[in-house]
Formats: sequence, C-alpha cells, structure tokens
Amino acid sequence: MLNCSHDIEDMAMVKCGAQKQEHIRLCEIIHIPDKPPIAPHLQPTVNVLAAHVEPKHANTLIRKLNQIAPLESLRHVKRVRKIKSLTGGQCQLSVILCAALEDDDQFDEMPKGVKELIDSFQLSTFVTNVSKYAATTKEEWEEQCKLWPSSYHPPTYNIDGITGFSKDDSLSVLGFMTQAITLAKSCNQQMVNAAVIVDPSVNHVIATACDQVRPMNDPSIMSNTGSHLPKHSNVKIQPNAFESHVCSLGEPKHLTDGVGCLHPWKWAQEQFDTYSGDWHPLRHAAIAAIEQAAARDRLLFPTNFHSRESFIKDDMISLPIGSPSKKQKIDLEKVYDEDDEDSNGVDSHSDSARPYLCTGYDIYLVWEPCAMCAMALVHQRIKRIFYAFPNPCDGALGSVHRLQGEKSLNHHYAAFRVILAENEQH
Amino acid sequence: MNMEKVGIDAGQSSDTIAFMNLAFLQAKLALDSLEVPVGCVIVENGKVISNGRNRTTETRNAIRHAEMEAIDALLDQWKKNGLSPTEVAVKFSNCSLYVTCEPCIMCASALSYLGIREVYYGCSNDKFGGCGSILSLHMIRPGSSSRNQEAKKGFKCTGGVMASEAVSLLRMFYEQGNPNAPKPHRKPLQHMQTVDK
Ligand SMILES: [Zn+2]
Ligand SMILES: [Zn+2]
Repeated sequence: MLNCSHDIEDMAMVKCGAQKQEHIRLCEIIHIPDKPPIAPHLQPTVNVLAAHVEPKHANTLIRKLNQIAPLESLRHVKRVRKIKSLTGGQCQLSVILCAALEDDDQFDEMPKGVKELIDSFQLSTFVTNVSKYAATTKEEWEEQCKLWPSSYHPPTYNIDGITGFSKDDSLSVLGFMTQAITLAKSCNQQMVNAAVIVDPSVNHVIATACDQVRPMNDPSIMSNTGSHLPKHSNVKIQPNAFESHVCSLGEPKHLTDGVGCLHPWKWAQEQFDTYSGDWHPLRHAAIAAIEQAAARDRLLFPTNFHSRESFIKDDMISLPIGSPSKKQKIDLEKVYDEDDEDSNGVDSHSDSARPYLCTGYDIYLVWEPCAMCAMALVHQRIKRIFYAFPNPCDGALGSVHRLQGEKSLNHHYAAFRVILAENEQH
Repeated sequence: MNMEKVGIDAGQSSDTIAFMNLAFLQAKLALDSLEVPVGCVIVENGKVISNGRNRTTETRNAIRHAEMEAIDALLDQWKKNGLSPTEVAVKFSNCSLYVTCEPCIMCASALSYLGIREVYYGCSNDKFGGCGSILSLHMIRPGSSSRNQEAKKGFKCTGGVMASEAVSLLRMFYEQGNPNAPKPHRKPLQHMQTVDK
C-alpha cells in the first residue's frame, strides 16, 4: 500500500513510483504554448514569383538571385524546390525569383536583374504561395513544406521538456501524475482536484494536497486550514483506486462537481450534512499544496533576521532615485510588484539547499488550474505545471485564460498536458 | 461597465476615504514588518469586520496577500460561529473590500469566487492586476454558467481611491529596501506585533 504521508520527513522519502503504476499508460505530454495555436493549415501565406529551371543552371541562378533579389522577409523559405519525378527520371527544380505582387503587373515591379535573368535563361515563370512566417512547431513546418520547402528551427527554451521528454523523464512525469490522480480519488467520496509538488532535480515530493473546499468524510484526512504547520496525518491510498477508468475522469459531469478549479463558484450552494469537517471555499489543491511547501520551508530552514533582510529586493519598483520633486507626482505607472520583494532569493550567506519559494519545482494537477490557482503558482515561482484534464469552466493555462503567455507577469512557467490512457490489459 | 476609475478627488464619499484610511493602517503595519506595504479591510453594513496585510516574506508563501489574510480571518470566525457555506456566501455578498492596491489576478479571482459585493482599490497594479489592468475578472457576467446551476459572479470595482498615498507608501518600501538608501532602524521582526486575527 502506498503510504502518502503529509508528514514532512516521510514526504521526502516518497519517490517517483513509476514502476508501481501498472494500470495507467502515458500517451503523450503536450506543451501548452504561450499563444493560442493557429491550425497549421491556416498559416498566412504570401505570393512569390518562381520558375522551373534546368538543373545545370540552378547554381548560377541561385547565386545571382541571392544578390539581385534576396528574400529578406522570407528567410525561412528555401530558394529552391526539388520535386522528384514520378517516372524515376530527373528531378524537377524550381526557384523563387522574387516576391510577387497581388496584381498582374509583375514585370513592371520586379527587380531589374530578375527580368534580365528570365530573359537570358528563357525561364517560364509562375506565381505560387509560400508561408509568410517561420514555423514555430513541427506541425506548422510540415504544413508549410506542402506549399514550398521551408526551414524550421525548434525553439530553444531553457525550461526542460518544451523540446521533448526523454524516456526517463516521461516515466517520472507519469509516476507523479499517477500519484496526483490516486490522491484525487482517495481524498473524498467525490472526485476532487489533487496537487503534487515535486523537486525534479532529485525527484522528491515536496508537498501533496487535495481540494479542501468541502469537509472530508474521513476526519483523519482533514487538513490544517489556517495553521502554519501541517498536522501529522496519513492518507491511505487504496491500491484499487486505479481500477476505475482514468480517461473517463473528466466525464460524466456529476462526478467532477467536487473539483474546486472546475467549479469555483459552486461552494456557495453546498448543503453539507454536518459541518464537523473543515472546509474553505478557496482551498483548492494547488493553494493547499503551496501552503504545505511554505510550511516545509519554514520548518526545515528556520528564519533569522539576516535572511529576512536578504528578501528585500532593491529594484522592486522603478522609482526615480534622487529626484524628490517627482515624489509628489502621482504616477500610477509605478506599480508595486507584490512578489518582487524577494525574487533574488537566498543571499550568499544562506544555506544553498534552502528553496526560494517553489523555484525549480514542478506541480502535478489532475485538472488544469483555475485563474486563482494558476496565478498563485506564478506568485510561488513554480517552474512547470503538468495537468491531465482541461478545465473549460475557468482554466487559466489555455482554456479560458493563458497566464503562461501574459507578458506583464514577472514569472513564467511552462505548462504541459499529460494525456493518459488505461492499460487495455487491465 | 462595472469598472469605474475615478479621479483622486472625484466621487469619493467620506466613508470610502475613512475605510481606505483603515486599509492604509494595515499597509503601514506591513511596511513596519518589511513586507510590501499593501493592506485591506472588509466592511459589512458600514462596519469593519476584518482586516489584513501582506505577509509573503514572513510566511515564505507568496500568496499570503492582504486580501487572503482578511478573507481567512473572516472565514475562521464564521466557521467557528457554525455558519454553513450558504450562510457564508450570503455574508460575503454583503461585504465590500477596501484595498490599497488593485487586487492581483489571484485575489480578484478569489473575490469573484466568494461573491463579494464591491471592491475599492488605491493604485492600479500594471503587472498583476486582475480588476482591469491585466485581466478583468470582476466583469464576469453573472449566471453565465447554467449547466451546473453554478452562477459565476463578478463584482463592482472602483479604482483610484487615494492612489497617490498608495504609491507613496510603495515608494517608501522601495527606498527602505534600497541598500544605498539610509537604513531606518528597525526592531527585529520576532518582536513585532502581529496584527489582525
Ligand atoms: Zn483552483
Ligand atoms: Zn493578490
């Protein structure tokens, strides 16, 4: 039996248990981009003037064209297209001569040198369209190449996983997501959201929590609303919690009524049989997990005056220094950054093991977080968010809002959807 | 539509100013504790029933904003009094929040989930603001979700109340946090009084 303890000592011992999760299979980990994606086949295009060329003339032509009519705004587009002959004969080569105009007056507007090349090589020209912008995904690139070959440079972000996951990484993602799903099913009679905060550098669980919006039926798993340190309490996970259909977690609707992030306004209509258990309308799983991670930080690294001082950041608000006359001026542009007081983190005197908020940590959530939770995770500096099911009601990682793409925010995490399937053999 | 940015001296009743002054007292307590100076009060039927100030550094929990502190204090009290969720919801629908800086996206969402009636804020928050600056979470149309009989709630929001004072306070925090600025003498934090609750 997996013992998922809320005790801090034990928590550090719970490691990724991917090998135990026999009944859930990972289908795919999808990066949720900062901008709403455009369907690859709907990418904007522009017209160019091209011509079929003899292979023996190709090199000369391309060299001359690159001088006469460089494709300044179409650097991602290749100058030459090579189409293999179906009959097995010679390849057919085409080159882009220059940008084409919308109207028919191509020959009046084209660069002078291009006209000379057309004449001297007796080229037969045609207008075709190419993608206007460089591809940002492999799918876009594949679609672009159907029009005309282009080049594609995968993004080189500094957040692990955006460019893909190794097999080992995928396995630990699956393991932690499975742990979150198990929690979501075991915390209450009703399905709730669950959160697992992980330090991916050592694959340690830092905090685990379920929604605490409603009172728990089992008093032993009642949590610690309002207090600063988690009480010692154990969550027993039934091994058969995996038995129900994972892919159907999102359906049918009534099963998910208890998920805080999916129904953040619903608490107001609750009719509890008893009010003995603790409840809190805002205590969604992510909020409770952040509280637990902060409690762990305070316990493991007791504060002192000097470390407090180090939390103050000097460039929090960009105010004009040494211009007292401006002090009287009301300037609503100078907005405080409620987080930034400590964004430099630990100073050099402090223990290097001490976490700065949740910097470098990942969070696994069964459902895409609501706006409140997603912003809380920005404040707490989470590095990556993994969720299994989208949240059409209030999801803030692409469904309704897209906080990972809000440029004004001072911190940006990467968001991933983990698509799971049950094992058919089960 | 619900949002109304008023000028510094326009349309502010003496009550609004009085409650905002109490929010500023909270913000100054935060400043004294070397926290980002943001404070708030929650008002029901013309009476202050809760207050809160930013505690993110002390708790190492970056979500302990003034609004969250004031909300949690209220909820603790109401639960102690045996109120049911429905009763708590009715209570919140009669409450107004006065906060020195525009609620962030997280707090604005929370206030919407709770169904608070009205929010007055000081300066706007161009980086995180959830009441018009970045997102407009107060403008959710009521009842836009029908399938689960779950009514989404917005709230009336008035910005710019004593905004210059809010900016000055933040400026003071900035200057005291600047190592080049003369450091005010401060007591160790352990001896600081805790406010509210
Ligand atoms: Zn949530
Ligand atoms: Zn806030």
